[in-house]
Formats: sequence, C-alpha cells, structure tokens
Amino acid sequence: MSAPISPVRQPLITGSKTYHQITEDLCSPTERAPNATWVIAFLISVSVLGFGLFCIAWTIWKGIGTWGSNRTIGWAWDITNFVWWIGIGHAGTLISAILLLFRQKWRTGVNRAAEAMTIFAVLCAALFPGIHVGRAWVVFYFFPYPNTRGPLWPNFNSPLLWDLFAISTYFTVSLLFWYTGLVPDFATVRDRAKGIRKKVYTFLAFGWTGAAKHWQRWESLSLVLAGIATPLVLSVHTIVSFDFATSVIPGWHTTIFPPYFVAGAIFSGFAMVQTLMLITRKVLNLQDYITVEHIESMNKVILATGSIVGVAYLTELFIAWYSGYIYEQFAFFNRAVGIYWWSYFGMMACNVISPQFFWNKKLRRSITFTFFMSIFINIGMWFERFVIIATTLARDYLPSSWSFYKPTWVEVGIYLGTMGLFFTLYLIFVRVAPVVAIAEVKSILKAGGDQYVEKHKAHHEKAELEAPAHH
Amino acid sequence: MDIKMNYTFDGRLKTVLLVLMGLGAICLAASFFHNPDGYHSRFWSNFLHNSLFFTGIALMSTFFLAVCITAYAGWHVVFKRVWEAFGQFLLIGLILMGIITVGVWLHAHHLYHWTDAASLDPSSDIFDPILKHKSALLNPMMYTILGVGMCAVWLLFHSRLRKFSLAEDKKSDPSDFSAFRKSKVWAAVFLPIAGFTSAGAIWLWLMSVDAHWYSTLFAWYTGASWFVSMICVTILVLLYLKSRGYYEFVNMEHFHDLGKFLFAFSIFWTYLWFSQFMLIWYGNVGEETIYFRERYDNYPVLFYGNLLINFVFPFFVLMRNDTKRKTGTLILVSLVVLFGHWWDFFLMIKPGVVHTAHEAYAHAHEGAHVAIKGMSFPGLLEIGIFIGFLAGFLFFIFSRLTKAPLIAKGDPYIQESLHHHT
Amino acid sequence: MGHHHTSNHIIYGLYTDETDLLKAVQKAKDDHLDIFNVYTPFPVHGLDPILGLAESRLHITGFVYGLLGTLTAFLGMSWIFTRDWPVIFGGKPYWPVPSFIPITFELTVLFAAIGMVVTFYTVSGMGPGITNPILDPRITDDKFCIAFNETTATDGDINKFKSFFQETGASEVNSKEIDA
Repeated sequence: MSAPISPVRQPLITGSKTYHQITEDLCSPTERAPNATWVIAFLISVSVLGFGLFCIAWTIWKGIGTWGSNRTIGWAWDITNFVWWIGIGHAGTLISAILLLFRQKWRTGVNRAAEAMTIFAVLCAALFPGIHVGRAWVVFYFFPYPNTRGPLWPNFNSPLLWDLFAISTYFTVSLLFWYTGLVPDFATVRDRAKGIRKKVYTFLAFGWTGAAKHWQRWESLSLVLAGIATPLVLSVHTIVSFDFATSVIPGWHTTIFPPYFVAGAIFSGFAMVQTLMLITRKVLNLQDYITVEHIESMNKVILATGSIVGVAYLTELFIAWYSGYIYEQFAFFNRAVGIYWWSYFGMMACNVISPQFFWNKKLRRSITFTFFMSIFINIGMWFERFVIIATTLARDYLPSSWSFYKPTWVEVGIYLGTMGLFFTLYLIFVRVAPVVAIAEVKSILKAGGDQYVEKHKAHHEKAELEAPAHH
Repeated sequence: MDIKMNYTFDGRLKTVLLVLMGLGAICLAASFFHNPDGYHSRFWSNFLHNSLFFTGIALMSTFFLAVCITAYAGWHVVFKRVWEAFGQFLLIGLILMGIITVGVWLHAHHLYHWTDAASLDPSSDIFDPILKHKSALLNPMMYTILGVGMCAVWLLFHSRLRKFSLAEDKKSDPSDFSAFRKSKVWAAVFLPIAGFTSAGAIWLWLMSVDAHWYSTLFAWYTGASWFVSMICVTILVLLYLKSRGYYEFVNMEHFHDLGKFLFAFSIFWTYLWFSQFMLIWYGNVGEETIYFRERYDNYPVLFYGNLLINFVFPFFVLMRNDTKRKTGTLILVSLVVLFGHWWDFFLMIKPGVVHTAHEAYAHAHEGAHVAIKGMSFPGLLEIGIFIGFLAGFLFFIFSRLTKAPLIAKGDPYIQESLHHHT
Repeated sequence: MGHHHTSNHIIYGLYTDETDLLKAVQKAKDDHLDIFNVYTPFPVHGLDPILGLAESRLHITGFVYGLLGTLTAFLGMSWIFTRDWPVIFGGKPYWPVPSFIPITFELTVLFAAIGMVVTFYTVSGMGPGITNPILDPRITDDKFCIAFNETTATDGDINKFKSFFQETGASEVNSKEIDA
C-alpha cells in the first residue's frame, strides 16, 4: 500500500516502534513526577530569571543611565540581545513551515520543540525594545491608534515601526501554528489522564475527536499556515536587517543585509535547537525519535547556512573595496582592525570557520562535538550583531564623538535574565506538553520507522524498473 | 509495459528549431549592421544579454541538481536527465562568453566602460579615478582568467555529476550505491563553490556593465532570475516531451512541484528585488540611486512591467492549487515568466551599455548625441534574437538528450520519483 | 432524522492499522453503508477521497482574510499620511509606497492566520473548554475507528453492521449513546 522508499534513506524512528509505543514514549514525560535534574535546573532558571527581573526593575527605577550605552553608542547590548534572540526564534517556524513545504520528513522529530523555542525566544527578544526606550510605561505609543494628541500617528517610514508589526505578527502566527499542532496531542494526553489532569487537558484539547473531516481541515490549515509563515520568517528578519541597514549610521548600508540576516537567523536558530534537543533527547530518553540522522541533517543545515553567511561576509568585504567609496571601506576596516577587532574575529571564527568542521561525516554525527559547536555558533552569532551595532556606532562620521562601550552589571543581568526566562519556559513546556509531535511522528512511521525501511530495502534488491500501478 | 527509454530527436522538430535559429542569426546580423554609434552596441549588447541569460540557466540546473542530491530529494529523479542536458550547455556558454572576451581584447565593443583606455589614463580629460581604482579587477586579463576559470569549474562539476549519474545506469548490482555516494560528495562541494563563482561571474560579466555602480545583493538577485527562468524552461521542455509520448511517468504531481517552485521563487525574486530597491531608495546615496533613477526615468514601462510580469502575473495565476496542475496554464505562465526574466536582463544590461556608448560617442564627436535602436525597448530584432538563442538552446539540449537513457533507472531514488504523490 | 432524538446510538469498530481501515471504508462505500464518522490518531492519507470528503475551503477564507489585512494596512497608512496628518519624514514623499510594503505584508499574514484559525475551530465545533463526545479513548492512541449511527440507519443496514465489522477485520466492536 505505502509508497516506495529509497534504499539509501535512513530510518527516522528506531526501536521498531508501534503506534502505542510512540504514545507511551512521548506522553510519559508529562505523566510522571519531575526528577531531581529537572527540579535543580528549574530552580536555577527561576533564580536567574529573578535576578533579571531585578535588573529590569532597577533599569526602570533608575533609568537607562544604569547601562553602559552612551550618546555615540546608543544601541549596544540591548539591541544585540534583541536580534540574537529573534534570530534564534527563526528556526522553529523554519523547521515547521519550510521543511513541511519541502516534505522533509525528519522535521517531525524536532518541530514541536523548535516551535516552542521560537515562542520563548521571541518573548525574550520583545523584552529589549520594550525597556530600552526608557519609559516602558508608555510603550503603547508605538502602536497606531486614534488619540487625543492631534491625533499623532507613528512614523510609518520607520523600520523600527515595521519591526514592531513584524515581531507581533511573527509571535502571534507562531503561537497559533504551534498550538494548532498541539491540539491533537493534548487530546492524546487527555484520553490517558485522570482526575484534575484530565480536566486541564480537556480544556487544552479544545474538544478534539480525531474525526476525518477535522484532520482534513487541520492539514489544510497547517499547510496554509506553513505557506504564509515561510515568507513571514523571511520578512521578519529582513525587517530586522532594515533596522540596521537604514539607521545605524546614516547613509551606510549594504543591500545584502536582508537575505544574509535571514540565513544567519536560521543558522543560529538551528544551533539553539541542537543545544536544546541534545539535552532533551538524553534527559527524556527520546533517542529513538531524535536520532543521529536528525542531528546530522540539522548539522548539514548549519553548514549550509554558515557558508551562506560566510559568502555574504566576504561579499561585503569585496564590495567595500570594489565600491571605491571611502565610508563604506572604513566601515569594514574598522570592524576588522578597529577597537572591537576581537568581536569581528570571534564572529568569523565561530560562524564561518568552525561550521566547516561539519564537512566531516564523523564530526557531523558526533553528539559531543555537535553540542560544543552549537554553543560556539550561538556565541558567534551574538558577536555578529555586536559587530554590526556597537562596532559601527563607535566610529561614526565625527571623530570627536568616537566612543567606547562596555556593559554594566545591569545589562549583563538582564541578558542572563532572558536566559532564565527562556529556560524556565522551556522546562515547563517539557513537563506539560509532548516534546515530540505524537500524531506527526505516527504519520511517518510507515515511511521512517526502521522496521519498515529495512523491509523496503530488501524489496528493492529484487526490483527492476517497475512501472507505477497507477498514474 | 513499454517504456520509451531513449529519445529520438525527430526531423520535424530539428527543422523547426534550425529555421528559428536561422531567423535569430539573421536578426543578430541585422543588429550588427544597425550601427549608428560605430561600436556595434546593439549587436554586442544583444549578444551579451542572451549569452548570459542562457548560460545562467545551464548553471542553475547544475546547481539545483547538486542541491537536490544534497537535500535527500527524490521526486525529480525521473526527469533529472533533462537538467543534466541543460547543464551541458555550459560548454556553449563558455564559447559564447569567450567571444565576448575576445571582443574585449580586440576592443571590438564598448559593452564595458572599464575597457576604455582613456578613462584609465590620469592625463586624459576623461580620466575616471573610480574605474582606475577598480582596474585591479576590471581589466581584460582578469576578465579572461576569472571568466574562463569559473566556466571551467562549473563544467568540471557538471561533468563529474553527469558521469556518476550515467555510471548508475550501467551498474550490475542494484544495491551498489558507490557512484551515488561519490556524486553526493561532489554535489556538496559544488554548493559553496557555485555560491562564490556565480556571484563572481555576475559581478564580472553583468554588474561591471554599470561600472560605477555596486550592490552587494545584486548577485543573489540575478541568480534568482536565472533560477526562475530555469524552472520555466524545464516545465516547457517536459510538457513537450510528454506530449511526444516520452516521460509518461512524469505526472501532474511532478508538474505541481515544478509549479510550486515557479511560484515560490517568483516571490523570492520579488523579495530580493524589493530588498535591493528599498534599501537604495531609503538610503538615498547618490552613488547607488543612480541605477534606479536611470531606469525609472528612462525605462518606466520596462521598470514597472518587470514587476507586473515577473511577480503579479505568476503570483495570482499560480496561487491556486489547481492552476499548477493544468497543462495550458503552466505553458502560459512559463512562457510569460521566461520572457519576463529575459526582459529583466534587458533592463540590467542595456541602460549601462547605452550610457557607455553615448559617453564614448560624445567624447569622439565633440559632444554629439547618437540614437541607437533596440537599447531602450526590445525591438523586433531583439525578440528575433531571443527566439534564435532559445531555439539554439533547445536544439542543443534535445541533441544531448539522445545521448543517454531518458530515465536514470539506477538512481537510488528512482522508485520514489516514479511513485511520486503528495 | 437527528432532531427526533435526544441521543444517537453509535456502533463502532476499531482497527489496528490504517491499511485495514482504508479497505474497510472502501467496502462500506461499496456496500452503500452510511458511515457516521471515521476517527483516526493521525491524518491517514488516501482516506478523504474514499470517504468522499469535499476538499476543505479553509484556504479560500484565508485568502479573503488576507486581502482584508492588505487593504486595512495599505489604505489605513495611506489615509493617515495623505489625509489625516501629512508629515514629511526624512525627505520621503507624503505617500511613500515602498515604506508601506513591510507593514502591509505583515498585516496580510496576521489577518489571514488569525482568521483561518478562528474559522477552523468555529466550523469544527472546537474551542477552549469545549467537550465533544469521545467514542473510545484509544482513538487518539493507536486505534482507527469507523462509526455507524443506528438511530438514523434503516433496519436492513443495522443488521449488516456487525457482519461488516467482522468481515473487514475489526479488532473490537462496541456501541455508545452520544448526544445528538
């Protein structure tokens, strides 16, 4: 009945799982009491989050003067962190949407966690513009609404306003996409639960029954949401890139920013997915669902996007020379050998050079190596944003205003606080929802389960060029 | 079941294509003799325009095959021989670009401002310091070495992938995938190489037509244009072959996928168009805005038409699912969008060439102006030349298709591709 | 007809594999048995055409919602910048179309996504806290279910249900009262 599978395909689900075993394996983490590792990790995350909240309160109480930003370098850690988190938030929707459109079956192992990561990362990101404006209590001035001040409207020419719309839309659509995917799985948890848990999951499952018509609509909805989320992912980081391309230093921009920011975002997002999944699969015992094949596929994406980013860096350097435009040339000269040369070096080393190790199949399939690489890449992508923002601002057109920036404990605290927020939410998520999409894994079992893949291989050995039964 | 494994290039099609090629040759010759500026700008710009356009299609098919191999794709395998045939056109591309290169050495044309010796001479009254700065790259020697070098690298990778593909046909043990594994390595290595060299080729051959202007996004933008064109030609060739009884296993699902690529990459092209335009418009730096200023002041129909024909039209027609599965609609969209991207290349090349020609002419004739036809809007000769080149491209790829079985039956993904349904 | 009854008597069979389910549904169609509903733990490919489900029109509503977003954003910004309070920012014209593209795109996507999701839950009779009758808790685990409604079926058909399940290899046959 099922479609043929190429003999060179590797299984995506190992351990000869049945449908019921999949349910058991993926639901059970939500059904048992948390273990000590989880409790310790949760306490640490919440404590770090608490310190972050204190630093935010400190900032709002005392003012932005508690930060190291100055008149020349008006954007620094805050916006660097904002872009860093937004970038990380891109892999989730990418895995869900683009890989769904491209029918990459390996997405089912990691899409749920990646989507959750997207939502948490966007929350962390959205925090920074909110507080860096200084008067966080009038942050609603950003939004266009009829008001008694004229009415005065926001500036629709400003990329910062476009960004507000982009981030809000991205957050909303990602949330809807994620939750719609979760509904059938919540129903699975509901139908196994008892007592108060049953009540909670009954509420969360929205009355899902698994009826054929509902599945049909659900698939149609997922496909269309994927279809519109794909350009959305591109647009969001494109608009983030416009923030910097149009407004860091007046008159300075490179046109390659939009696609290269998108590639960089995917790059860092996949790195963060690796970090999370490598820990999650081990702690929750999900090695049969998040296999070395998945890890290798993601490493290939990391290698590809890292190389695209590398091509873009070199393109910028080349065009800076080629343009013959001294301000353009200075911008890059300053990055490579200026006061923040080390962040440029860190960026190049972590983002362009280190992923090249993934050309080696052994390293690509090594769990330990992948884990360290994923951390490296996250550091490198942080440096990239720091280079674009702080390095560029530190040397503007007026040498007398040139300045140096270093962060204060408050900024470091807020950054750590977002990490605390991110991990707190993620830890709660792995307790209450299936980390791997149950229904979607079941739907690829016949194509990706090891017992079926082996059977097809045996079949292939005998087969010649056979015509399809129907066409 | 009787499967047509080998393609026969029938006499009627041969005749039709040869007649169209002849028509193209006549138009090309006629454009050579329409020479009011004395530099044969119309002829050479047409030659560059079409050579670049079709060489890019050949490059993109090779690149996309490499992408598919790397990304575990299986759906396209049944018709991958068509893309392999496209890739072989790289050899012709090398010859075509070689002719332009010879022209650079012989000063036979004024396609590139940087070939003008007076502009590089500090004692000349038209000395151009920017061109002098760029002359480390933009000079006949680098043009030759880099151009030929990049074509040679593409050909090398193409021929390796082709060789492994043919080796799979002949293997005796069906579970022997050694050739496939080798092709995976070559395909993966080709991706970054193609990334750099395609950008280099576009800067050298195309962006340097507007020798003062620069944009980091330009190479990606042009690459997207090539890619969409490649998908259009693929759809048209496959539909033709199917209508002649070949490729009966290429079903509507395959066309649906190609249609989706056409749809998605038309949007992607528009995205790159907008990103480049927006940043230059917003930044308002004179060195950059000159490119668009020139185009929407002097080429408004082409400028806005470019967006209508390459975005609005395919977007609204292909948005619906069923239109990607209708032969007639696919033919119409592919033809229009193929022409649309040719038109996009027209807009990329002609304004720069005509600018250089006017300047050189004015310099030699005490400030006199010269009007050259076919430079501000495609004339009948331009259309004729396009048809001629298209026929030449098709003649070449159909003759290549006869050289190997149409279906790569040894490919490990062939069964998936034959039973492709979504 | 449903409104004569306060509840429906449902007889249903459970299958352990989707291939058995597909064969059974095909047989039910061939035998002209009126299927009440089919429930599965995941979307089963090839089920919709056999069951005769019309293609979902959800994507069409998405287009309409999206268009509404496009118009809201573009016309709204145009009105604000040319009619309500025209200001020149950074030397850009009063009606800077390229500047409007990003927000117009975002609102198109936002309207389409929210509209489609709300429509999906509304037409499917689902939502936060809503409960629908569940025939068997294992349907969301590993069982594939075909259900017939004995309340609306003819007597002739009711006699056929049991044997139908037996012939098509159902692993279990049960019945349940659910609200109409």
